[in-house]
Amino acid sequence: MNSQLIDTSIYADISRFIRDESLRILLEGEVIAVVGYAAGRRKGSVQPIIACDTESAGRLMFSQASVNNLAVYLTKAKKEIPKSGKIGIVLKGCDLKALVGLIGESQLKREDLYLIGVPCSGVLASTVHPATELATETIAPKCLECDAHLPTGCDFVPDVALPPQQKSDLKYAVEIARLEALTPAERWAYWKEQFSKCIKCYACRQVCPFCFCEQCLCDRNKPQMVETTPRPAGNTAWHIVRAMHLAGRCAGCAECERVCPMDIPLNLLNRKMAKELKELFDYEPGFEVNDKGPLASFTDKDDQSFIK
Amino acid sequence: MRKYISRQNLNTLIDKLIAEGRRIVAPRMTAGTPLYEPLGHSGEMIIDQLPRRSAKEAFFPLCEEIMSYEKSGQQVKLTDVDPSRFPETILFAVRPCDAAAIPVLDAVFSWDYKDEFFLERRRKTTVVGLACTTADDACFCTAVGLSPSDTKGSDLFLSPLEGGGYNVESFTEKGEALINSCSDLFAEESNAAYIQLANPQTEAFDLKKVKSWLDEHFEDQLWDGIATRCVGCGACAFVCPACHCFDIVDEGTEKAGKRRKNWDACGFWKFTHHASGHNPRDLQPKRYRNRIMHKFKYYDDKFGQTLCTGCGRCVRICPVGIDIAAIVEEINQK
Amino acid sequence: MKPSSVKYDFEPKIIAFVCTWCTYAGADLAGTSRMQYPSNVRVLKFPCTGRIDPVFILKAFQQGADGVLVSGCHPGDCHYIAGNFHARRRFAAFRKLLEFIGVDLNRLQFSWVSAAEGGKWVEVVTDLTERVREMGPMVEFKELALEEQWSGAINTPELKETYNAI
Repeated sequence: MNSQLIDTSIYADISRFIRDESLRILLEGEVIAVVGYAAGRRKGSVQPIIACDTESAGRLMFSQASVNNLAVYLTKAKKEIPKSGKIGIVLKGCDLKALVGLIGESQLKREDLYLIGVPCSGVLASTVHPATELATETIAPKCLECDAHLPTGCDFVPDVALPPQQKSDLKYAVEIARLEALTPAERWAYWKEQFSKCIKCYACRQVCPFCFCEQCLCDRNKPQMVETTPRPAGNTAWHIVRAMHLAGRCAGCAECERVCPMDIPLNLLNRKMAKELKELFDYEPGFEVNDKGPLASFTDKDDQSFIK
Repeated sequence: MRKYISRQNLNTLIDKLIAEGRRIVAPRMTAGTPLYEPLGHSGEMIIDQLPRRSAKEAFFPLCEEIMSYEKSGQQVKLTDVDPSRFPETILFAVRPCDAAAIPVLDAVFSWDYKDEFFLERRRKTTVVGLACTTADDACFCTAVGLSPSDTKGSDLFLSPLEGGGYNVESFTEKGEALINSCSDLFAEESNAAYIQLANPQTEAFDLKKVKSWLDEHFEDQLWDGIATRCVGCGACAFVCPACHCFDIVDEGTEKAGKRRKNWDACGFWKFTHHASGHNPRDLQPKRYRNRIMHKFKYYDDKFGQTLCTGCGRCVRICPVGIDIAAIVEEINQK
Repeated sequence: MKPSSVKYDFEPKIIAFVCTWCTYAGADLAGTSRMQYPSNVRVLKFPCTGRIDPVFILKAFQQGADGVLVSGCHPGDCHYIAGNFHARRRFAAFRKLLEFIGVDLNRLQFSWVSAAEGGKWVEVVTDLTERVREMGPMVEFKELALEEQWSGAINTPELKETYNAI
């Protein structure tokens, strides 16, 4: 398929809206900080900033390189962020789903947050340089399956017209179908090769909004449930545990896969679990706060065809 | 000693060495990711991409067994791993930024404690460097006093020529021995022009000035400013050619198990977590400060060297875009 | 029934995670009633199937189990009212994950066995044991446990030989 450019002309306007609104809420004392994106040294690069003053709020922006899910900074695992007042945060649709999940898990209170939603045409894949133009070949695979280009329920959403979205190959759906068609032994061989690359840097865990445990199961050694050594046995156990702990909670921001320095397709596991939970329990993450996720609730009619 | 080798002869050399039972480690694709790994044959070697992890793991593996234990009845049998069994290895196509880190690591591994695992591998490994022709805007070797043609750490160094092939220069006995072992594959040094090398667009840091600022600013607002965004993973340390912290773990059952040495990173909260529950580096900026301090101050204090070769790997992979070159540049400007 | 005197080349190791209120009592009933079932099964008792973390199943396979059984009270019978309902959802998801990673689900069995169902316990255990025996040993996790990263690997034949001789 030929690569087609994706219209990102609205991002300049969005940047201006975000700056103006952030300055307003900071100056009026409505929030103590705004978590957003600012430009980095490298051409086109973007990094998260926690803007507490007008100088840093003036640097806020949004572009196709605004890949991070900033909701991670609001969790209790990130103790560095001030929690003493209301916080503003810039969110894409996928990020908002994660934040909604955190509210559902009683990790955050809606009234402590000022949500700045971003109408989003998509962001870049992790494999390309941040200065690359957004196109069907360079866009993050998650954006091709996105149904949340326009966040709802926010306190402020820039008033821009979102261009129509282009449809493309659904990479995850295709890859999951390919793997499902293999034999168990072939799938095992596939994941074995992928997991053997893992170096246990835990970037996947550290960027995940839902990995907010005070002490991860995998950091515990009494008893040790998962071998900490970065070799195939411990790596496989870690990734199975990670996928299972996120099942029914993962909102699909795909940060785990984006940050993996070894290019392990981690979001495939999350998407597979999301697909199964949709089929089994008709659950999908969205913009509505649910008190209980699919694995924290039940009905007496649940499928038990697999139980003797 | 200066010689010439054609690309084809280089492949022949690699295949010949593999056939002789030597371990050849070079950049190759593993499940879609370029890594320094043992080659099965010369065709696997790729030279146009910077491997995702550095070459340090040829000496300092991601994880290695150092001892095993086995219990039978009342007897416990301990078995040490004997470093003298490590194989002779030749590291091919090592980037100057990776090769330059090796002598830097020698200092710490042969300091008060002699780490025989590192040193034995070091003794048995010949490093064949390759001048770098690919750089991007994350590279900053020129900022820390190196260059794409720096030969530091290489026993043998390959400089690519216009029209193919390489001029080869040897700097050590190990390098000369490698040439002499297959001298028929090498020719006299060529006069052909060198290929245009990479050209990182960074100004040199004044490392003395950076260090003197760090000497005085253990507590500074800068740390909060740059590192509040740090999410606390170990990716930067694990891809770094110079980071060398490790953790020792015993894993197994009450009957049998192994003691292993695994990479560790100062970005992890657990890195300085005491058994009492106290953590002197309780917040992420303090952990990130240690990364900068160790690279540009502590290592200099102790060994007179900088623990950064400007490979730019941490800049490329940081999940939250922390850019060590921008930070040191900022300190440099102060 | 008499214990089987047939000798097999391969005796699978089966780990059973059971709830103390129903399945454990059911297995006890099978014992006190002198019913015979394969001695391959090692029973681990938990307060409730709701306490059985999927990571226990993973750990069992890693430690050398060839098959795993998870068994508890029938829906509606849970001593803690809803533990088994939660477990049902969790295991429905977990088995899908294991399947996707490449574990053959024939090695993993879930069942409801009440305190009165000694016969069902015998049937479930016998079925799983025979099925796993036919499949042979679970080698995937064991092979994984023997592998090191390349950089720690001792990968010349001479070294392997020396190493194995240690």
